[in-house]
Amino acid sequence: MAVEVKNTAPTWLHVAFACLGAAFALIFFWVLLRETTADWRTTQAAFRRLEASVKNPHQLAESARIGGLRQIWLPEIGRVDRCVTCHLGIDDPAFAAAPLPFTSHPGRWLTTHPTDRFGCTTCHDGQGEATDYRNAAHHPQPNVARPMRPTETIDANCGVCHRGLVPPDAPRLAEGRRLIADVGCFSCHEIPGYEGMAFRGPSLDSISYKVRPDWLSGWLKDPKSYLPQSKMGNFRLSSDEIAGLQAFLLTQRAQTPLDSSGIDWNKADTAKGRGLFGELRCVTCHAVNGRGGTMGPELTRIGDKVRRNWLFSYLKDPHRVQPDTPMLRYRLSDEQLRDLTAFLIDEYRSAETGAEPPPATSGDARLIASGQAAFERRGCASCHRVPGVKDPGRIGPSLAGVADRDPDELPYGNNVVRHSTGNYIFLKVLLPDTLGQPSLMPTFGYTPSDAAKIAVALESLRKTDLPASYVVRRPSPTPYQPAGRFGELVTRYRCLSCHSIGGYGGDLSTVPLDRIGSQLQHDYVTTYLLNPGAVRVSIEARMPVFHMLPDEARTIADYFSTVFLDDRMEQYNGTFTPAEAQRGQDLYRQLGCQACHQLGLQGGYVGPELSATGARLKPGWIAAWLTSPETYKPGTLQPDYGLSNTDARALTAYLSTLGRREASAR
Amino acid sequence: MTADRVTVLESPDLTRRRLFALGCASIGAATAGFLLATFRYLVPNVVYEPSRRFDIGPPFAYVPGAATFLPDRRLYIFNGADGFYCISSVCTHLGCNVKRAGPGFECPCHGSRFDENGQVVSGPAPQALAWYALSLSPRNQLIVDLDQVVSPEFRLRV
Amino acid sequence: MRSGVSTSVGQRVLTWLEAVRRSIWRIGWPATDKDRAAAMISSLFLHVHAARVSRHVLKPTYTFALGLIAGILFLVLSVTGLALMLYYVPYPPEAYRSMKDLQFVVTFGIVLRNMHRWSAHAMVFVVFLHMCRVFWTGSYKRPREFNWVVGVLLLLVTLALSFTGYLLPWDQLAFWAITVGTNIAAYAPLVGDQIKYLLLGGHVIGPTTLLRFYVLHCVMLPATMVLLISLHIWRVRKDGLSGGQAQTVPVNEVAGAFPASTKTYGLMALTTRPRVSIEARDANDEVFAWPHLLYRELLVALAVIVAMHVVSLVFMAPLEEIANPTRTPNPAKAPWYFLGLQELVHYSARIGGVIIPTLIVVALLALPYIDRHPAGSGRWFAPERRLANIIFTALVVIAVVLTVIGTLFRGPNWAWVWPWR
Repeated sequence: MAVEVKNTAPTWLHVAFACLGAAFALIFFWVLLRETTADWRTTQAAFRRLEASVKNPHQLAESARIGGLRQIWLPEIGRVDRCVTCHLGIDDPAFAAAPLPFTSHPGRWLTTHPTDRFGCTTCHDGQGEATDYRNAAHHPQPNVARPMRPTETIDANCGVCHRGLVPPDAPRLAEGRRLIADVGCFSCHEIPGYEGMAFRGPSLDSISYKVRPDWLSGWLKDPKSYLPQSKMGNFRLSSDEIAGLQAFLLTQRAQTPLDSSGIDWNKADTAKGRGLFGELRCVTCHAVNGRGGTMGPELTRIGDKVRRNWLFSYLKDPHRVQPDTPMLRYRLSDEQLRDLTAFLIDEYRSAETGAEPPPATSGDARLIASGQAAFERRGCASCHRVPGVKDPGRIGPSLAGVADRDPDELPYGNNVVRHSTGNYIFLKVLLPDTLGQPSLMPTFGYTPSDAAKIAVALESLRKTDLPASYVVRRPSPTPYQPAGRFGELVTRYRCLSCHSIGGYGGDLSTVPLDRIGSQLQHDYVTTYLLNPGAVRVSIEARMPVFHMLPDEARTIADYFSTVFLDDRMEQYNGTFTPAEAQRGQDLYRQLGCQACHQLGLQGGYVGPELSATGARLKPGWIAAWLTSPETYKPGTLQPDYGLSNTDARALTAYLSTLGRREASAR
Repeated sequence: MTADRVTVLESPDLTRRRLFALGCASIGAATAGFLLATFRYLVPNVVYEPSRRFDIGPPFAYVPGAATFLPDRRLYIFNGADGFYCISSVCTHLGCNVKRAGPGFECPCHGSRFDENGQVVSGPAPQALAWYALSLSPRNQLIVDLDQVVSPEFRLRV
Repeated sequence: MRSGVSTSVGQRVLTWLEAVRRSIWRIGWPATDKDRAAAMISSLFLHVHAARVSRHVLKPTYTFALGLIAGILFLVLSVTGLALMLYYVPYPPEAYRSMKDLQFVVTFGIVLRNMHRWSAHAMVFVVFLHMCRVFWTGSYKRPREFNWVVGVLLLLVTLALSFTGYLLPWDQLAFWAITVGTNIAAYAPLVGDQIKYLLLGGHVIGPTTLLRFYVLHCVMLPATMVLLISLHIWRVRKDGLSGGQAQTVPVNEVAGAFPASTKTYGLMALTTRPRVSIEARDANDEVFAWPHLLYRELLVALAVIVAMHVVSLVFMAPLEEIANPTRTPNPAKAPWYFLGLQELVHYSARIGGVIIPTLIVVALLALPYIDRHPAGSGRWFAPERRLANIIFTALVVIAVVLTVIGTLFRGPNWAWVWPWR
């Protein structure tokens, strides 16, 4: 039978076919569109238009004409950075005024850190592999562990390679590292870079003789209530703990103070004491009433704290109590010490403080035991030595790799912040007990700005290891300890607390002593050490009156003029003609030196006064200084006049005549 | 049953035919497009290799009037009186490093000789040594670009 | 005259081209029924179809083309997978970097990667639906028992492919999902630890694991899949579509011999009769595969491809941070198709992780040999099979509910959470 078989498809199939076919074609165009309108392509097109308008774009920028994705591949440090796909003018100063993203990099950073060795994300973080704005993590992005670092904390990345204590051009990092070194966080936490550093608070082995008990409990409750710049944090101790600790500490009587039984305190002359206080320049290191130095503790309320006999003993020989204190040992008689002690105790105290209570004899044994337990538990022995308590080591967690801890597993307490290790560290340093977990860490009372700097320093501690070619470690200065008689004097008078030799020592004096023998004349040094005067009127800090013996001063001067020399300065011809001196005097007027320097009573206060220069300074030094001040004191206010050798010589000749007669008369 | 059946086709409906044609054309175009896309996919956009443009140091590091050989870059850098230029040391025969021989070059492997411009004088080498473009970066470093071959007239005046 | 010359040259070229064409495509575009039949049976690729099929086969509401969709998805996965293999590096941490390269640097890399991932998820889902369809239409009964078994094996291979592929991006999601998955496997009695050791290539998930999973995913499992798919489709051809015949067709069976195909073109069946009975076939019920079946299949393929493209262009496949063995995300979840298991494991590792899955697989494999009742095949939810349908549906619902719980209602520490909070 003939059957009609339809061998054509029904209409709706054709409709579906056409629709799906069209959809398929449209999909292809959608895919194509997404590829061709990718952000980086439009950005590069904009760059080419811009390039045409920038005057003399450097040849390097022409590489952008090649087009396409650009990447910096650094297999040594495992980085693939494609930032330069859009940041096309980054390495070309011609684009300094161009709009983002084509602006060239500010500063000289790309000279010291060229992109072909460091890439971009080494310093800036972010997801270097990405080729569009959002995925590059310019802002925090899900699933990107390290979004771009804001410029306020970018120092932290400097610290990953620069491991020394003072990395250049990274002020927040340097300050953060200094703060850590200052307070001694490494006593409780292992911190890479601070290995081998030992922080010691004062030894407590004789504290019973030293302090008044009422002061001790106040201190334990809140150190900053007595000493605002105290390095000891507030341990948030309970009153039971405080009572226990006080009882325990008052049993510490290892070293009795020096005998002061012969002293008649009724005869103490506080007026003389006051004079001595000024003469010894105590405020150079110890502030009182908010003014003074910070090398030593503030003395504003010393009378509330210490016992009189102990203070006497201490002032007589501080090195007996604290062998490594920066404080020097003056040469004073017992009467002078008596007067000074009495002055300090009477002058610097609170009104409410009464007479000194007699020393405690015994205490509750259980309280003492609980105090010792608290002492051990809170890690006091990490910083303070007490006999019979073993060193607990570091009771805090190690901070190695702290910057790579998982931010989602860190506690933030009730603080509403973005979860990041930086924020956690900041909160922990600022307010350790507000993170929702009990904490043994004391509250140090940092300002948010200081806490932020410490956080920056700690954020440079990463887990990953760098190839050695990337690590920069500044060698720490080798300790300088001269030998012989000079060495003894340096130790006694603690010269290196304020002065530095060979980069080692203090920086209270801006004059390193390395070539002092070629700078100052021998006799002047001797006189000066016995009676330090004011050379710079405008500077508050003064060298103390040591009450040195004359032959001690001579020994020091001799050592200076034989050892601390500069050969070129020594070879300078110090014989001048009157004509040179006259020319020098004219130059002195022409160059306007009197604007900053005094001659007699006339002149400015910026620089040292010069009327005794001929007796004070050596000509070789004067000439060297005038020729190139920046070499000897970077950042000095002394201008570099570009003097010729003849002119410098003339000025030196003139200055060498000043005060010469007084010197020769001596 | 199995004999050829004369199929009675319906009269072609123009719409249906058009729809079918549209479908075929779209699919054909899309397929062609996707094939091209697949090919484009296969072309690498970035390569994990050392850059073809690199920095070889400042101009003053190169002795004037002499040629400096950079072994890891396989380049001879000339600091001539009229400027800098750069010649590849890769012999065009089979790739050995050519050595300096007088003003020209000589290949130790099969004896090809080149003149001071890298042109072949004798030997099995089929063509001259390559000259690459030199330029100066904003930080005054010499930049070699291995993707830009230049003629022996090229000089970079610094 | 001149035109005659050029026509003759032109015609000769055309004739020559025609001859080239005929050597490749012998039939050409079919215009007659004979050609339509020939086009199917003489083509390498097309002869998977019969020349004529029952009209009922064209109805989408019987099979919903689920098997076909699964097959198309496998094709899509193979093509996209092959393309991805040119950029992917199976060694950590390069694996992760190469994923990032695909996302940012490779032209169309994102689309290909997304296609591959979403097609994989779709295939697991479609295969599951296909299994449900086959059950609910009773199409596992005689003579299709073994095909059901092959189908279950295909399901397992699909899951294995998806599981092995899940590790390859080497991100946190991948690493921890495979940690959970292999730990569940380790609960198997006696051999659990050895299985885990074999899978991991050691004691921890590392470069060895990635390489093993890569080779499994790209070579061994796809080869197995191709073999099983071929067998599966061969069986479908031999046994016919269960819903493609009227129900009154008697089965030509003689004791001891296989039932004969009732098709005239089936050449590989043994019969005990000298001739094959073809009276059962109703000519009015059959249409040529070309164009009816093929056109519909083409449309299904187009629809699948278009749909997968749209999904790939709209939804990004996830890529979390690089795998970090020291940092466990909380919660760490297995791939979604194992989340029902992980939920069970939460209650009891042995029961949930080992016993129940084993029981399920064994039950599935043994199903056609347990349920020997021949009635009810070829129709959806046949009333004769009510009990079987109820049991199966209940199990499916439980599985779905458990998976949904595991996906949406479980948060950190596997604690209950309400997903809308």
